[in-house]
Amino acid sequence: MDVRAQLVMTFNLDKCLGCHTCSISCKNIWTDRKGAEYMWWNNVETKPGAGYPKFWEDQERYKGGWVLKGNKVKLKAFGKLSTLLNMFFQPHMPKLEDYYHPWTYEYSKLYEGGEEDDQPVAEPVSLITGEKMEIEFGPNWDDDLGGSPLYAENDVNLEERRILHTFSKLFMFYLPRICNHCLNPACVGACPQRAIYKRGEDGIVLVDQNTCRGWRFCVTACPYKKVYYNWNTGKSEKCIFCYPRVETAQANACAHSCVGKIRHVGVLLYDADRIDEVIKAKDADLVEAQRRIILDPNDERIVRLAKENGIPDSWIEAARKSPTYAFVKEYEIAFPLHPEFRTVPMTFYIPPLSPILATQRIAYEVEDYDEIPSRESLRVPVRYLAKLFSAGNEEIIHEALDKMIALRYYMRAKNLGESFDESVLRKAGLTPESAERLYKLMTLASYEERFAIPPAHREYLDAKDAEMRKGAKGFGILSSTRGGV
Amino acid sequence: MLDLLIFVAVPYISIALALVVTPYRYFSGRLTWSAYSTQFLERKTLFWGSVPWHYGVILLLAGHAIGFLFPSAVQSLLSNFSTLLAMESIALGLGLLALLGTVILVFRRAFTGIRAVTEVADWIVILLVLNQAITGVYMGLFARWGMEWYLHTAVPWLYSLLTLKPNIALVSGLPLMFKIHVLGAFLILAFLPFTKFVHFLFLPFGFLFDPPILYRWVRDRRAKRI
Ligand code: HEM
Ligand code: SF4
Ligand code: SF4
Repeated sequence: MDVRAQLVMTFNLDKCLGCHTCSISCKNIWTDRKGAEYMWWNNVETKPGAGYPKFWEDQERYKGGWVLKGNKVKLKAFGKLSTLLNMFFQPHMPKLEDYYHPWTYEYSKLYEGGEEDDQPVAEPVSLITGEKMEIEFGPNWDDDLGGSPLYAENDVNLEERRILHTFSKLFMFYLPRICNHCLNPACVGACPQRAIYKRGEDGIVLVDQNTCRGWRFCVTACPYKKVYYNWNTGKSEKCIFCYPRVETAQANACAHSCVGKIRHVGVLLYDADRIDEVIKAKDADLVEAQRRIILDPNDERIVRLAKENGIPDSWIEAARKSPTYAFVKEYEIAFPLHPEFRTVPMTFYIPPLSPILATQRIAYEVEDYDEIPSRESLRVPVRYLAKLFSAGNEEIIHEALDKMIALRYYMRAKNLGESFDESVLRKAGLTPESAERLYKLMTLASYEERFAIPPAHREYLDAKDAEMRKGAKGFGILSSTRGGV
Repeated sequence: MLDLLIFVAVPYISIALALVVTPYRYFSGRLTWSAYSTQFLERKTLFWGSVPWHYGVILLLAGHAIGFLFPSAVQSLLSNFSTLLAMESIALGLGLLALLGTVILVFRRAFTGIRAVTEVADWIVILLVLNQAITGVYMGLFARWGMEWYLHTAVPWLYSLLTLKPNIALVSGLPLMFKIHVLGAFLILAFLPFTKFVHFLFLPFGFLFDPPILYRWVRDRRAKRI
């Protein structure tokens, strides 16, 4: 057993309002630079929908992630030889238009223009060429199911397209996404220059800007399309999990600013020796296999092994208080996004409970059930959720939804001072105490409880290397870059 | 005089620049070490430019290098006329491939949306390689059996450069196209440390042998891998 620690974020989709505050705070801090205008390290997309970049989940199109071939896990896009042969042109890499062409408006025209007969207008100009442009597509073009026939209807997870035309069955929810800081990151595996690495101490996956030569295999390989090519610096960049913030025990900018308070961050301990088991599991077992390698920080033996591996006491302590551990492992209600890509993603999503279907019959049934809907009557089809979060395993999604429904039932009865049937809780695998705790964690938790982030240990940092590390971490550069004479 | 410039002065200056400035750039400005790919902004034309160009130039460069490193072995190989004919044809084919690629790349620079990311340095790079392709193909067509005479003229002259006893007589009688080709080659070497030419210096091969997932640790500063 090789115990390692990672900082992990969870998203409670039940509460995401789709306000994009997270994306904006991320952009303001990290990607408000030349070459990075189009990048949204954090983005929020409507599901069903095309997402960002367009149809990123369609790996027949982008060839991201790993595939299980016999007993071997291989990158879908390239083997070693084909990596060498494709160095000069990336056949599967998304192009700018698959994200969107970034633009701004000529605001200065509004006050600099002279006196004229017509009202001045601020026309859109490209942020790349500076020329005037027609805006044909943008980030979140399909927000809230806008343009469904073009976008949502082609969502690869959606089997029954007719749902989008059936008002009583129509559904949507929001999916905020950052880099998952995977345990088996395809971006790392694909980089021929070995420029991308996973930080041992906290699991953050970073592109070493000094080593990166801009070959862009990571962009193709990441099935979540969370590595971006900076056309100005000629190198790849990605979400850095706000390491300058989390190293000082502050929450990531996206999580900190989250209006819905849907995000929790905490430490998970995992067994690095058994990652292999997870990536080779059958599709339906992927989530459970991943849960198995997440270790219990209250187990004496594991704590001893963690200490032997140099994990500091403060981190073990944080792992015990970790809200992510509670959601992922104790309550088993948080799921990795598209585990079938086999990168073992380390951000987790609590699936949304949704409004009930608007057919009359169901409305009556709901009343029968004390106002709390059963999972069958929820608008978001479990099948759809299973395609997103459990590689098709509907059973475990059911279990999670049942827990959340039982929790609602219990809390409603409690708040109204009504009697309740404890067996509903027990059937869902909860007790009054654990339900209470889950309720608090999801709704009332304080800032410190939501973000149990231990600071990095400065004594581990070697000042001699600081300059070197500075270049090895992080993201693009501000100075003139294009290697000019 | 011109010969002295092309065959002595420029080569030595270029080699000196490449040897001194390249490490300097490596240690001071590695953040600019990139091929500055423009595929993201324009990919249709790039494919027809970049792929033929690179497949052509890499094999041709390898050919130049083999002739330089093992002249006598290559000589005995080429003494068989049909081998020579085959090799020359392959080389000419590769040359045409590279030429096609560069011409497309030049047009692409001039007429597609990537003008926004094009600077003087990009023009220097692309025009230098265009020059190599044109002069190279010209010699393939009109100064036949270059493979043969390369071994007896350019190679010994290069060795004379390396041994610091430059012998211009070996090459001064060769056609003008050859001189331009050589001049271009050393200009490429001279510009190498200052432009994106650096992109082919550190070819990644480590990944062929490494395990796929790379961990880096601050803690004990040893790269621990799984
Ligand atoms: C040996 C390995 C090489 C690799 C892996 C490589 C890779 C690349 C890549 C990725 C690009 C960017 C293409 C794009 O815009 O997406 C590029 C451009 C370029 N390469 Fe190479 N290259 C290699 C060798 C060479 C050699 C030997 C030369 C010539 C001496 C060369 C000359 C160029 C030129 C001139 C461009 C710029 C094309 C333009 O401006 O449109 N490359 N290379
Ligand atoms: S989500 Fe993509 S970029 Fe992030 S670690 Fe996983 S494979 Fe790499
Ligand atoms: S800030 Fe929070 S609630 Fe708003 S879109 Fe982002 S994740 Fe959702």
